[in-house]
Amino acid sequence: MGGSIAQVLGQCTLVFSGKVIDADTRLPLSGALVQIPALKISKATDADGNFKIAGICAGNYDVNISHVSCTPITEHLHFKDDIKHNFFLPHTSNELADVTVRGTISTKGAAISQDIKGKELEALRGLSLGESLQKITGVSVLQTGSNIYKPVIHGLHSNRVLILNNGIRQEGQQWGSEHAPEIDPYVANRLSVVKGASTIRYGGDAIGGVVLVEPKLLRSVPGVSGELNIAAFSNNRQGTLSGIIEGNSKRNNAFSWRLQGTVKRGGNAKTPNYWLANSGNEEFNGSAAMGWRSAKKGLEFFYSIFNTKLAIFSGSHIGNVTDLMQAISSKEPPDYIRNVGFTYRINRPYQQVQHQLMKVKAFRNTGDVGKLNMILSLQHNWRREYDVRRFQSSANVPQLDLKMTTLGTDLIWDHFNTGHFRGTAGITGSYQRNSYEYRLFIPNYEALNFGAFVVEKWNYKKWLIEGGLRFDHRSMLNTNSNGGIQYPDRRFNNVSGNTGISYEAADGLQFTINASTAWRAPQVNELYSDGLHHGSARIEKGDANLQPERSNSILFNTILNKGRWHIDAGVYIKRIDGFIYLFPIFPPELTIRGAFPTFRFGQAPVAMHGFDLSAAYTISSHFQVDAKSSIVRAKNRNTKEWMIQMPADRYEAGIQYSLGDFKKWKETYIKPTVQYVSRQTRVPATGNIPVMKPDGSTAMESDYLMPPSAYTLLGLEAGTILQTKHQKIQFTLTVSNALNVVYREYMNAFRYFSDEMGRNIGLKIKIPIEPKTKS
Amino acid sequence: MKKQLSYWMAALMVVTFVATGCKKDPKGPENEEELITTLKLTFTEVGGTATSTVTFKDADGPGGNAPTQNEQIVLAPNKQYNCTVQVLDESKSPAVDITTEVIAEANDHQFYYEPTGVNITVTGLNTDPNGRPLGVTSRWNCGAVSGPGTVKVTLKHKPGAKGSSDPVTLGETDVEVTFAARIQ
Repeated sequence: MGGSIAQVLGQCTLVFSGKVIDADTRLPLSGALVQIPALKISKATDADGNFKIAGICAGNYDVNISHVSCTPITEHLHFKDDIKHNFFLPHTSNELADVTVRGTISTKGAAISQDIKGKELEALRGLSLGESLQKITGVSVLQTGSNIYKPVIHGLHSNRVLILNNGIRQEGQQWGSEHAPEIDPYVANRLSVVKGASTIRYGGDAIGGVVLVEPKLLRSVPGVSGELNIAAFSNNRQGTLSGIIEGNSKRNNAFSWRLQGTVKRGGNAKTPNYWLANSGNEEFNGSAAMGWRSAKKGLEFFYSIFNTKLAIFSGSHIGNVTDLMQAISSKEPPDYIRNVGFTYRINRPYQQVQHQLMKVKAFRNTGDVGKLNMILSLQHNWRREYDVRRFQSSANVPQLDLKMTTLGTDLIWDHFNTGHFRGTAGITGSYQRNSYEYRLFIPNYEALNFGAFVVEKWNYKKWLIEGGLRFDHRSMLNTNSNGGIQYPDRRFNNVSGNTGISYEAADGLQFTINASTAWRAPQVNELYSDGLHHGSARIEKGDANLQPERSNSILFNTILNKGRWHIDAGVYIKRIDGFIYLFPIFPPELTIRGAFPTFRFGQAPVAMHGFDLSAAYTISSHFQVDAKSSIVRAKNRNTKEWMIQMPADRYEAGIQYSLGDFKKWKETYIKPTVQYVSRQTRVPATGNIPVMKPDGSTAMESDYLMPPSAYTLLGLEAGTILQTKHQKIQFTLTVSNALNVVYREYMNAFRYFSDEMGRNIGLKIKIPIEPKTKS
Repeated sequence: MKKQLSYWMAALMVVTFVATGCKKDPKGPENEEELITTLKLTFTEVGGTATSTVTFKDADGPGGNAPTQNEQIVLAPNKQYNCTVQVLDESKSPAVDITTEVIAEANDHQFYYEPTGVNITVTGLNTDPNGRPLGVTSRWNCGAVSGPGTVKVTLKHKPGAKGSSDPVTLGETDVEVTFAARIQ
């Protein structure tokens, strides 16, 4: 220990210098800020774009480079000797206007958000989007078995969480709890979560929050480069291969392109004691992007296709409520399901989903004061759900087949710093059509959306004040083919708004408070669903008379980034009037397959509050400890009962040991982690479900099975970079559930049927391909 | 410059409309495959020819509207009946007799009959090619006047897991109907 301190003290003499250059115009940028948050160093470039920082201690640091008219970049640099490094900043004044301002100090905004990028993202490669987002405090997942993960932000999910895929509102069949987001996380080099309704830029209905899946900007330096990602997992023998190739034309500097593709295949997953019969997955995805740009105007084209086939665990597919009670009372899957071994084969039941997105974006500067963006998008979502095949002779067709097409248009004007103001105003519109075949669950419908918004930021010295106002209209039209019932068209109009104040009390200490009012129109499933939900043995019934829900919330956040500390802590209070939720009705509905538990959508006033904390402390240049915690509470204000299906309290801690560099092996680290999830005890005390008690009596409960016990999981993350003369290869090893603990998670719909996945070792390899011909 | 911008915007519009033009009209919804809407029991007195039937019908399958027909089993005391079960999909026209598929895959299926509170015992279930009970036909032995009670009829699907004396809890339920029943 003494040795490492001496080493640190002894080497705080390094000099870091270089130049910040506009990647498009190749002109030096004066007044660009070079920051090393870990060392609380901040230095501006001189008139020729040069900077020089002396007295740096040896180690690995994130370096942030920002400039008023550019997108900030972060690079991870290793300091061993003096470093001279030039940074190319994409000249994109407000280029990522569709990337919201976020609450880190460097980018200044009054929205409360956190992101995953760089090394942290590398460690999550190969996982699905929902699984990856759990890294962010306040985000948990709603799980269906080992394949389907939906992000839950502050206890809210599905229709209340908006996902932006490359700036476009993801329009999939997001309503179902077993409908995972149809996005390949490999398209992104940053995943961000804006918590609560602290931004209204994308729609007032994001009461839970917004997930931003952000690809990196197209290459702006001439040449061709690429990246190959490989991920392999031990538990379900899953392999993932993903590649990117991208370029920027030498002859015509304005033209850039990128091609990206991912293939993934995994077999049955294994709990500590048995294989999960039929739990494999397959995925193949691709995307293409092209852009032409000059300093004043540009055009971008983006297309992506996502295809997945997800097996549904055999032991979860039940015929009726009798089967469900049987599955619960026997605790473990029956022998004929437990005795199945490993296979990659996907049998029925499974779901197959395809999502295509096409986006065209054009922008043009409006003088020196702003930029006009026009974005057109077309999405097609095709979801097929295959139940167990009743007979070998049965036709191989799905039980449920939904096709949704969405056409969207955005016209957005960004204006740059005029005085101390900057902001965005825009109008958005979309048309959506959904149609089904086979089993009725939701009717065919058409929907129209129209929105208009203004968001302005006023920035003066240490203060940032942000305000936004938004109007939205939504109509649900022409519902048809719904079992003879004719529903009238519904039209909803309302206003949402938010305001935030951010104050930088001291260097590295920022307080943000954000108040918002947002509303959400009832969605098609909440209004009109009527039928049997895939394999979950329950009937869901909408209520065509539901009214919109309104959420009023206050979020308070503190970021401390000082010395050895990095703390991000937030609290929130939310009151949602007319919160739309599913509640069981009694008696269960009688059908030819026996009785089915029946759930109806209703509304209730709800009060929520919660707390998110992430803290990191650097002990020495070798050791860093961090801890995270998320807590959420939600109550029905009428009945004073807890709300069902809220994530239990979770705590996480890790200690990272950085080995530093050894010959060709750079930035080697190892990080054991521990996660504790408590038992969810805050569930409604009574309900409508008759549950047989062990003593033979029957009690009316709110759920078929009480929440599972608390659990503790150990994990491990380790990484290194092999740097040879011409090539760099990044390795990351992850171990989850290292002790192969048997546990069940309350937020997993399959907790009635099976244990969670056992130990899983993942190896991720990233190979950047950077030809030597660098200009 | 202005001109160029409008040219771009126009080009974008064209692209979008071409793309949306490719969208085919939705087909009219077809009914779900292998929907079971109807369970029918036909009783023939042993040695006689007179038949009676009881029917349970859920015309649109699980969900949607409630079952439309739920008849009562009424049998005579101290008699024996041969019972034949039929499962039908009457949402199609003509109706599809799904019993033939159950018989074709008899090795994976089994009917169960569970009388409660009524003096009936069900025996003599016919068997599948492996000699295990199938229950498409059965013998109902009635005792003294009793009831009203119930008879629960269950069709289980248990591919690869069927044994010779499985409990009714094994496998997935395709049909589960509880008829009111009495002997008078």
